[in-house]
Amino acid sequence: MTTDQNKTTAVIKLTGRIDSNNNAQVEQEIRERLSAAGDPGSAVFDVSDLEYISSAGLRVILRIRKTVPDLKIINASPEVYEILDMTGFTEMMKVEKAYRVVSVEGCEVIGEGFNGKVYRIDKDNVVKTYKNANALAGIMHEREVARLALILGVPTAISYDIVRVGDSYGSVFELLNATSFSKILAREPERYDFCVREYVNMLKKVHSISVPEGKLPRIKEHELKSARRIRDRLPDGMGDKLIKMIEDIPESDHMVHGDYHTKNIVVADGEVLLIDMDTLSVGHPIFELVHMYNAYVGFSEYDPQIVLNFQGFSADVARRFWHDSLAAYLGTNDEQVIKDVEDKVRVISYANLLDWSARHSDPSDPATAPTQALWKRELIALMERLDTLVFSVDNGCSAPAELTLPATVDNLPRVMDFIGDRIAAAGLSPKFITQLELAAEEIFVNIANYAYTPYTGNATVRLILSGEPGSIRTVELTFIDSGKPYDPLKKADPDVSLSAEERRIGGLGIFMAKKVTDDIKYEYSNGQNVLTLIKQVH
Amino acid sequence: MLNINKTLENATMTFALEGRLDTVTAPELEQELHDLPENVTELIFDLAKLEYISSAGLRVLLSAQKSMNVRGKMIVRNVNEVVAEIFEVTCFTDILTIE
Repeated sequence: MTTDQNKTTAVIKLTGRIDSNNNAQVEQEIRERLSAAGDPGSAVFDVSDLEYISSAGLRVILRIRKTVPDLKIINASPEVYEILDMTGFTEMMKVEKAYRVVSVEGCEVIGEGFNGKVYRIDKDNVVKTYKNANALAGIMHEREVARLALILGVPTAISYDIVRVGDSYGSVFELLNATSFSKILAREPERYDFCVREYVNMLKKVHSISVPEGKLPRIKEHELKSARRIRDRLPDGMGDKLIKMIEDIPESDHMVHGDYHTKNIVVADGEVLLIDMDTLSVGHPIFELVHMYNAYVGFSEYDPQIVLNFQGFSADVARRFWHDSLAAYLGTNDEQVIKDVEDKVRVISYANLLDWSARHSDPSDPATAPTQALWKRELIALMERLDTLVFSVDNGCSAPAELTLPATVDNLPRVMDFIGDRIAAAGLSPKFITQLELAAEEIFVNIANYAYTPYTGNATVRLILSGEPGSIRTVELTFIDSGKPYDPLKKADPDVSLSAEERRIGGLGIFMAKKVTDDIKYEYSNGQNVLTLIKQVH
Repeated sequence: MLNINKTLENATMTFALEGRLDTVTAPELEQELHDLPENVTELIFDLAKLEYISSAGLRVLLSAQKSMNVRGKMIVRNVNEVVAEIFEVTCFTDILTIE
């Protein structure tokens, strides 16, 4: 038995066997240790080297608990944990299992972020380590938000185990044949277009998800803190103006990743996944763009070598990727529109970078001062000509949305209102809108009437509008339900050449939906019917 | 929302439809057809103000057509562009008497 103490908690290591032969002796030793520690109100029993504990030993713990109410048991081996679980101790007090120990020595580093490294420990598994002191809390947080994201429809990886790595902790993920987009861009430049497309698709998907209140932090608060911290480093009044401009950005309950760059998008076994979820937040998409800009351009604006070291591709590729992704995200090729948005993004980017640098850069590094000077100069130049950071792009991308509601015929008007609201500003013809509504009605009513019968379940409607006015514009309207698997496209079209007498009443719905759209896709995945209507206007 | 303005003149009933004839509102029209006086031999649909018709609406029109084929005749009037196109893709133009 050994004791380690800090001010309020005594950590006592229990070793070997505790049974009726030695329980009195062990109890006395524990009491002496507690007394030597100044009888703290809380204690931790580290049972990593405990082989066996009998009921006599358990009674010792119960008696100690009377004088030390805040008692915790850590590092319980599977055998000891089972005893504690069977006897109800796990419900009486905090009992933590022992974590598997993993060595990352000699393992390939496949990713490195600000908070730690990612190692490949075998062909299909990676471990993400955490540098910060409170690693366990960080791991738990990431696990929780990744779960939330998965439930809300983001393809992501969830760690299935927590392990000890040296003095800290790590979380283990299964990632089959995973390759990050950064690696693809560095090694397979011919897949550049694929990367842009999938990167933007994932981005739009994340931004289309509305998150229940209180589940994720608001990213705007985070950026406001940065702005407040650098306020006094800007010329008179400019700091306050900056804070006001950020405050004026509309609130949003839509998901943002918070660190959306190509190292955090991977292709694993052919599927595109988003990883590194610890910064997941809600807010206006401008804040997402801020961190994208920083990753590709901002951080390396003074020294282009930085992006090459971090991403593995050159500053030129990084800048081009940022530009092309932004253009695709905004659904425009209009350079002026792209530039306007980029300038607004850069304002928050520089505020964020200056704050970050003040807290994390090495002041003795000869690059630190000129880098900060460059960011500050750019920020001041932007602030002198901009009065607002608000932008709206009427293509639906700036505020994509979805609606989830009980699939009942009575809710049809809500679905129609949702669609109408989403595309109202897009300047589409009444005929186009009517046809879209028509197809939507047929699909939604189908779900309402058949998917969950005789029960009622939810349906989710998601609308993405892309393309700018004057070019080809595409509406993708997706319906998702968790009802019985049913592919309506398999149903044979009705014979519309028959006379009124011969024609059956009904069976027209899906046929009409097909007629008024350009394409309909159906898939059944993850227990969900996913039907997407695609309609283009040329 | 659907408004059904009814005018009965001798044996001719006119239904002027205004608004949307969809899954939610089609049962209202179905009820009107059910309640149609027995002496009516001509049924006229005035669709000038009908903004929208879905398959649920078409079903009601088809069943009205079937019933009026037995009793007399049915005429559809003032079909606007949006509705006309739906009649066309579903070949309702071949079934209905459109003026």
